[in-house]
Amino acid sequence: MGILAVLWEKWREFRRDFYKITLAAVITPLMYLIVFGLGIQTTSHGEPYLNFLIPGIVSLSTMTGSFSAVAQNMSVQRLYEKALDQVMVSPTPLWQFILGQVIGGSLRGMYSGGMILLLTLPIRTGLIFNGWSVLIMFLNGTVFATLALVLSFLAKSYTDAPRYTAYIITPMSFLCNTFFSTEQMPMGIRQVVAALPLSQTSDMIRSISAGLGFNSRGIVILLLYLAAFSLISVVFIYKKKNL
Amino acid sequence: MIELQGLTKKYGDFTAVDGLDLTIQTGEFFGLLGPNGAGKTTTISMLSTVLLPTAGEIRIDGKKLDRKASAEKRKLSVITQEYSMRQDMTMDEVMEYQGRLYYMPKKEIREKSAQLLEFAGLDQFRHRVVRHLSGGMKRKLMICRALMTEPEILLLDEPTAGMDAISRRQMWNLLRQLHGQGITILLTTHYIDEAQSLCERVALIDHGKLDIVDTPDHLIDGLGAFAVDETAGDTLQSRYFHEREEAIRYLTAAENASLRNTTLEDVFVERIGRRIDQK
Repeated sequence: MGILAVLWEKWREFRRDFYKITLAAVITPLMYLIVFGLGIQTTSHGEPYLNFLIPGIVSLSTMTGSFSAVAQNMSVQRLYEKALDQVMVSPTPLWQFILGQVIGGSLRGMYSGGMILLLTLPIRTGLIFNGWSVLIMFLNGTVFATLALVLSFLAKSYTDAPRYTAYIITPMSFLCNTFFSTEQMPMGIRQVVAALPLSQTSDMIRSISAGLGFNSRGIVILLLYLAAFSLISVVFIYKKKNL
Repeated sequence: MIELQGLTKKYGDFTAVDGLDLTIQTGEFFGLLGPNGAGKTTTISMLSTVLLPTAGEIRIDGKKLDRKASAEKRKLSVITQEYSMRQDMTMDEVMEYQGRLYYMPKKEIREKSAQLLEFAGLDQFRHRVVRHLSGGMKRKLMICRALMTEPEILLLDEPTAGMDAISRRQMWNLLRQLHGQGITILLTTHYIDEAQSLCERVALIDHGKLDIVDTPDHLIDGLGAFAVDETAGDTLQSRYFHEREEAIRYLTAAENASLRNTTLEDVFVERIGRRIDQK
């Protein structure tokens, strides 16, 4: 299976850069937790603000972990190393390559989110994380891994990857239900931001962590994003004239 | 058998490959020659499906080659002009990744990889990361990687570019060995002597268009097998003759002249170079 070849390649990268990947995954979210959660101690809806923040940071870490694992790697492979040529000429079906990238990217996102959960364990917030949280984290990772694939196929230079992060990922990190609820946004903007995948993920994980269950509409929205980005990346890899 | 039928690649208004029609027979050693920008690398990139043609098609053993054609792609291996591999992988990992992409069993990957790296004299560097290899070592590794999957067709884009004379000769011997095993080889090169020494047939292309296809010997005979080089001031001019006696007659009448055998490079310069000069 070509998927296993791609996952092996991702696992090799993870094993080799384990410390760098781990450090990069925790450092920024940890800063957010320290500054906004512990430094500026406040409450939200009568609860410690940290209880609001942790599910948001977990979602955010899943997003950035999976996005950067695919975007950077693919852009460099395609435009700088030309290593994608090796895959293109091989008999591995290209949809399997896409699927391998998405699963591998999502697992990296889950690792980042999992690290945040591990680091916040000693705080004893009483938040609940269960199998549904893991599933939603995985789904969120697949959405951002496929988005990263689409963008890396569009990239004209390997330096475009950090630009995409600045244009898309950073605004989402701050606006999409991570640090404050989208309910506080003006009408119109609120609906748009609430429909973005990170807002949905944060909302569902936060709701589960508070023991309230979650609205399955969020899963449907994430699946729609996943279907759309997957379709575009499959079309790109099979039909794009110049890869 | 490789068939290129009306193969065309355009980038906006610029036509890199212009209606190329070529047939390369199974087991043939075929050379694609042309000046810089002639469309050689673009053709190889279309054969490796990294680029899709704007028009025309490629057939491998009668079946259309596209990105979905796994069975046809299984027959191909490509050695690109650039070192197209993960720079952060070790040699062993490069080989393993290739084996995995071609569904080879792990045991076979290990054995074949060890055998090829030893054959290329790279076995003591197998744990070294690609980024830290010399250009020649990277080139050898790319050959090992291409041979890992026992291809029926080998596409080589400038395989000896940047190699020293000894490494080039080693590469020539290796390619002859592979050809002897029945592998179809399509080679693009800037070194015309390389094509003359290795290829059974060559195609000259210029501005993406096919100029002529023939054996090196026929092309040389067409121009005249004997060349007289005449030096006048700073310029060297060559005249070609079909008969040796004719060439000797001219030589004796000329000043500062010498006789030699015509080479494929002369054919290349006469057919392609003159056109470039005229432009």
